[in-house]
Parts: sequence; structure tokens; C-alpha cells
Amino acid sequence: MSDLAARPLMKRRRIARLWRSFRRAQNWELSTGLVIIVIMVVAALLAPYIAPYHPNQINIVDSLQGPSWHHWMGTDFVGRDVFSRVLYGLRVDLLVVAVITYLGLIVGVTLGTISGYIGGWLDAVIGRVADTVIAFPFIVLVLAVVAIVGPGLKGVGIGIVIVGWALYFRLSRSEMLVMREQPFIMATKALGYSHLRAIFRHALPNLIRTSLVYSTVDVVVNMLVIAGLSYLGLGQQAPGADLGSIIASGQSYLLSAWWITTIPGVVLMLFGIGVSLIGDGITRGDLTLGSL
Amino acid sequence: MSETLLSVQGLTKRFRLRRSLGEFVTRRPGDSALAVDHVSFDLAKGEILGLAGGSGSGKTTLARMLIRLVEPDEGVITVDGRSVRDARGHELREIRRRMQMVFQDPYSSLNPRMTVGTAILEAGRVHHQPGSDDGDAFVSKFLDLVRLPASMAVRHPSELSGGQRQRVAVARALAIGPEVLIADEAVSALDVSIQTQLLNLFLDLRDELGLAILFVAHQLSVIAEVADRVAIMHLGVIVEIGATAEVFHHPQDEYTKSLLASHPQPVPLDASREIRICE
Amino acid sequence: MSLLKIENLRIAFPARGGITEVVRGVNLEVHEGETVGLVGESGSGKSLSCRSIIRLLPSHAQMTANVHFDGRDVMALSRKAIRDHRAHNVGMIFQDPFSCFNPTKRIGEQVAETLRVNAGMDKSAARARAIELLASVEIDRPEQRYRAFPHELSGGMRQRVMIAIAISAGPRLLIADEPTTALDVTTQAQILKLIEQRRRDLNMAVLLVSHDFGVIAQACQRVAVMYGGYVVEAGPVDEICARPQHPYTRALLESIPSLESAGHHVRRAGIPGQPPTAGEIGPGCPFANRCAFARPECAGVDMSLEVVGDAHATACPFVRTVSATSEAGGA
Repeated sequence: MSDLAARPLMKRRRIARLWRSFRRAQNWELSTGLVIIVIMVVAALLAPYIAPYHPNQINIVDSLQGPSWHHWMGTDFVGRDVFSRVLYGLRVDLLVVAVITYLGLIVGVTLGTISGYIGGWLDAVIGRVADTVIAFPFIVLVLAVVAIVGPGLKGVGIGIVIVGWALYFRLSRSEMLVMREQPFIMATKALGYSHLRAIFRHALPNLIRTSLVYSTVDVVVNMLVIAGLSYLGLGQQAPGADLGSIIASGQSYLLSAWWITTIPGVVLMLFGIGVSLIGDGITRGDLTLGSL
Repeated sequence: MSETLLSVQGLTKRFRLRRSLGEFVTRRPGDSALAVDHVSFDLAKGEILGLAGGSGSGKTTLARMLIRLVEPDEGVITVDGRSVRDARGHELREIRRRMQMVFQDPYSSLNPRMTVGTAILEAGRVHHQPGSDDGDAFVSKFLDLVRLPASMAVRHPSELSGGQRQRVAVARALAIGPEVLIADEAVSALDVSIQTQLLNLFLDLRDELGLAILFVAHQLSVIAEVADRVAIMHLGVIVEIGATAEVFHHPQDEYTKSLLASHPQPVPLDASREIRICE
Repeated sequence: MSLLKIENLRIAFPARGGITEVVRGVNLEVHEGETVGLVGESGSGKSLSCRSIIRLLPSHAQMTANVHFDGRDVMALSRKAIRDHRAHNVGMIFQDPFSCFNPTKRIGEQVAETLRVNAGMDKSAARARAIELLASVEIDRPEQRYRAFPHELSGGMRQRVMIAIAISAGPRLLIADEPTTALDVTTQAQILKLIEQRRRDLNMAVLLVSHDFGVIAQACQRVAVMYGGYVVEAGPVDEICARPQHPYTRALLESIPSLESAGHHVRRAGIPGQPPTAGEIGPGCPFANRCAFARPECAGVDMSLEVVGDAHATACPFVRTVSATSEAGGA
């Protein structure tokens, strides 16, 4: 069997095993987490089709209505349908959080593996930069970037990437230091492979798992940062919807129209739980399914 | 005999010695030691040279210096007259194509995420070996050379036993088309019955491909099974080198004699026995 | 009277869809003061078998057996009693002398700790006795070596310290699980000699586990050969080496590399295939798929040992090896 044909076969076998474990509910963390997140992502993607109202459609007459058949999550103080706003807000949030987290991961892991493999002054320099970034309190640094770039999701995104890469750098660098001594990496040198091939074709695929599992934690943290900054008015600007800004807008009505703040808050929480479960599920799946 | 393929002169490697207990207690600083001390030898085409010695003898360091996994401090290494130490870039890759190594631990010398076929094909393609554009045929050819079934190409190392993994490591090395194979304790981690299979494989490869093999091992009996000549190393120096039968039956050096004396005696088999099958 | 008697030892582990038996009905006997070898390749179950003697198995292992030590039933011992048993009756040394030590404690301390805990000595008495023990295992300058950390010692020395700890309580039985595998040939010979000397001085029995038949032949009086979780042959070492009765033993002995091959490469037959993993073993003889003498009836063999000579038993009912010069043997 040619190796090109072999690769999809191997992938199919792996996916088949994961799917079987999912179905047998042996890996309930993975199953539950995936269900939650998939529902959210699908809902967010289909927002333009399934949102019952336009998210910015103002209707003062219907303002501050509780959850009802017409408005599943009620309306806010200018009569906008909270459910529609949540759907569109999720759309923005999920997209932004995915992009910035995985951008940070790509930059951090690339730098970390190269730096760990080569060592020397390159490693020392990048390492010190990463250490400096990590030493700063995360939020303060992001706020500083937002102050320079200006409020809005763009500023928040840039701020998080500038800080986020450093942890992936550290993680993959230390894994690389260990992996470098493994015989199969030494073998790449003996086999006359280029350093680039050794790093990206051989070392990196074996290192990436830790960073991917860590990214599930990171996604949740970043989501909270985005929501938090939007809540503070520094992220998504009005009238655009995002979970944080919706929560902020309902603040004054917490005792009367509790649904404006609370329900989006619950959605945020569910997101965090779902992602964490996926992370747990991947780790556990690794242990029982051997070298997946 | 055939022409010399690999020639080593005065090869030396130093490193800082860990302080011995005596020096530790009296707080004297340690000094540097010679892991490999001005070693010289030749390897001819189609020859199997055994390299024996205990731990700390320097044999593994020596083997690694030949392909510059460890950089030598002094000395000359030539392959077919071309210097290995001076080679750079493209030339170095060419040298590495001609000398390949098989490592000791079958459980960590293969990339766990690559299938057997991918690993072998990659080796061939990186070095532009003839036939490497036809993936299936290329991989099958080398699996066949190491007596593994072609269906093994889609498996991952974790699905294979230690002996099978070592064969894959050999196939991967052969896919590059080397003339010299360095077996660095390649059979030491295997069960005895599997060890024999691998030793036979090395002998076959020498006969079929004319490979020269440097066989590093700590067990003299294993060396006796395959090596034409043997070099005994002790504390970084080759203390004795010669035809295997000669060195093992008439050792000259004291260390060689003590090594042979501590070797477990051959198991006393009753040569006159016969098998009887009964119901 | 035997010191150690193991009957019908079975060890299984939970696995996908049930349990997998790794040791399948092993019988072993060790008498006072004798050296018995247990030889087998990976997956044969030899290491697990010897750990069962002191019940040192992973918690998820399921074990059934009759294990009698000095007449007492080891399986029935209480927690306190089994600790006592491990402390005083049986000593054990392992293959990798490095990972058995605490890397942050000096080795003398680790020996003395055993004495304080198991023999109730006070600090200074334990230290003195520890130094004596280090000397008895031929460690030079024991007072200085007392203060060494494990990484400062060579493999051979660490193994000696492990032996010192194991014999510190004067055990009746020493179990040595691959004690020389990680050592080079010269050190190996020294360690085996040391074990033999200590055995004579303390009148201990020794159970030596190894995959190296050469080591067993050198050090043991009797040997049991294991394959696929069974004992396939047992008897006096010289007899088994000269006239192995089980096809596996024969094939194994014939694959062993020998110094005699120097100069004429004899191209040994080896054994085709590889040793089975526990999950692969079906009914009947586990060696049948690799055996030169296999026949359909092998799948029905019950692997019980049949006596064929003086204390010599084999699990193969079909094949016998006889001396060409002796009278007709056979079943």
C-alpha cells in the first residue's frame, strides 16, 4: 500500500477509534464537551439564519420583557432580543478567540521548537523576551496595548497574541529540550536530514499535543479576557454585540431584568465547561488509546 | 582482502571528568579525561569489525564520532579517501549517506507518529535514492531486504515488537544506500532468540549487499558470531585488534584476557544427543 | 522440606473485554541453601512470578496460588505479617540498580534506614552495621562510600549496595531479578561470585531470574524454563543444558551466541517469529506456532509437567532428547 494511501487509512483508524470511544460513552468528558461546543459553534455559524430578530433591532415597546415564547432570553432595555444578540455575540467571540489563541500557539510553538533545538544565543535572546512578557501581569499588558491601539476587538486581539505566545514558547521549548535527546531525533542527524526537517517533520508532531491540550485552557481564559474587556467597554464597541458587552449592558437591571446579564453569563460559563471537558477528554483518551 | 573503505587515525575525544569520590571528599577539582584516546583502525569493504568493551570503554562515543553525532577533538576519519571531519553541508550529507547507524533502543529510535512505510520512504527521498519516486515498490524492496512483510508499511512502531522495530531501523538505514553500517549495540536490548535472527540478518546483508559493518557490542559471544575481526577497547584505547578467532583464542593483552575469563562459560551441550518423537 | 513451594500460580490482569492471564499455573520449589534459576524471555512471566513470592504485584493484578514459605501460607498473611515476611525472610534485588535508590539520599543512609526500620537498631548501631555490610559486599573504603550519593557510584557498586540491603536482615531466600543484565561482563562475573559467597556464608537459598542462560548455567543448580506464562521444563542445570527435553529449551540453547563461533560463523537457526504477548496465547502449548516439531495435537496439551528423569520434568509430551549412546529413552 503506498504511503500516500496509507495515511488516510491510518487517520481513518484513529478517528474510528476516537468515535468508538465517544459512542461507548467511555470518554464522557470528550463526548459531553464536544456536544456543548459543537452546538455553540453551529448556533453561532448559523446565527444569520436562525436568529429570530436582528440583533440591533430596537423596539422600545417590548423592552425589558422576561424570557417568553417570543423572546427566548427576553429583551434588553431598548427592546433588542437578547437571544439574537447572544447568537451574534457568540459568533464574534468564538471567531476572535479561536484566531487569537491559535495564532499565539502557532507563533509560540514555532519559536519554542526552533529555539529549543538550536539553543545558543538565539535561545537566550528569545527566552529573555518571553520571560519579560510572562513576568508582566497579563491583563495590564493587554490593557496597555489597547490603550495604544485604541478600544475595539482589534486591540484586544493584538494584546492577547503579544502575551499569549510566550507560554506556548516555554512549553514547547522544554519539551524540545527533552525530545532532542531521544534516539529517533538523533537518528535524523545520522540519516542526514536537515535541521528543518528534524524540527518540523519529526520533533514538532510529537510535541504539539501538550500545547494543544494547554490551548483548551487558554481558549477559556482568552474568552474571559475578551468578554471582560468588552464588559469594561474596551472590547467590542456598541452597537455590536458580544457576550461581555451584553453582560455589561444589563448590569443596571440586575435585580429587575436579571436575564440580560445572567443568561449570557451562563452561556459563557457553559463554553468554559465545554472546552475544559474536551481538554480532559483528549488527555484521558491519550492514556487509554495508547499512541494516538 | 578488499580495499579499505573507512580509515580512522588518532581519533580523540575529551570531556570533563565527574569528580571521583576520593576527590569529592578531599575537595580536589576533577580534571578532563579522554573518552577516546588516539584511536586508529581500518574497515574494509564487506568486512564485519567488532568493537567490544565494557561500559566506559568509549566504544559508543567512538562510533558516534564516525558520523559526527559527537564532534571529535582530534584525529582523521576518511571514507574512501575523503575526510569526514572537514566535510560541510552537501559533502557532509553525502558522507552521511554512505555511513548509517542503527541504535540500541528499538523503542525510541523510530518516530512514534510515523508509519513504517513513511519513515523508510522519507529516508530514500531525502537522499534522492533511485526508485524512491515509486513509494510502494521502494518500501517493499527494503522491507523485503530485512525479511519483513510488505503489509508492515502501514503499521506504527507501537504495534511492532522490539525485533521488528530494529529491522525497520535497519531498513530505514539501508534505504539511504550506505556502504558502511554502524550497529551501536543494535541487538543488546533484544531477547536471545530474536537476537539470533538479527545477527543472521546482518550476515546476510553483508553477503548480499557487500556492506561493511562496524558492530559495537559489550558481549563477546555476540561479536564472535558475526565479526571477522575484533577491536577490544578499554578506557578509550584499543588494547588489541585482530582476527576474531585469534584474539579470542590467543589473547595478548591483559584486559582482553580478563574480559574473556569473566565471560560466562559456554553452555555444555551434549553433542551426541538425538531427538526422538513419541506418541 | 522445601523452603519455598509455589503451586499453581496464576496471575491475570484486567484487559479490554475480560482478563488476560500472564502467568498460567506455575509450580516452583526451592530448598534451603540451593540456587534455583528461572529463565525465560520477555513476556514469559518470570518477573511477575518471583514478585508473587512476596506479594509485590501491581494493585490491579489478580493472583491465585498456593505459596508456602517455610510451611506457612504466604497468601493468608495479614498486612503486618507480610511486611514482616518481606523484611526478614526474603530479600530481593532488581535489575536496574539506579532506579531502586532515592537519588537525594546518601547510600549509606539508605542501608542504615533498612536496619533501623527492620531490625530496630538505633542510629549509631545502624551506621556501624551498615558499614560492616558495605564491607561484606566488597565495597572498598566503606566509611567514605557511606557518604556517597547513588549517581556517584558505578552500576556494579550500586548493585552491591542493593545486595547489602537485601541481605541485611539475614534472609532465608534471596530473589535476584535480572541482577546482572544492566552490567558489563566483568562486573557481572564479580556480582555473581559475590552472591554465591554471601549465599554460602548465610546459608541462604537464591532464586535467580534471568534471560541469559549463560548466567544461569554458571550460578544455579536447578533451573525452570518459562515460556508464555508456563514452566515448560525444570530440572538440574547440567542435565537440562546437555539434554533439553522441551523443544523451546532446545531451540533457546541453540540460539545462544558462543565464543566458540569465533572464526567460523555458524549461522545459528534461531527461533522464527517472536515470543507471544499475554493476550495472544490460545489453548494448548504456547510454543506450537514457532516449534519445529509442532503437530495438531499441540493445541490440546495441558502443559502439566511430566517427569522424564532425575528431578527433570517437561511439559511437552511428544519430543524427547536422548543421548545417542544411552539405551532407548522415550516416553
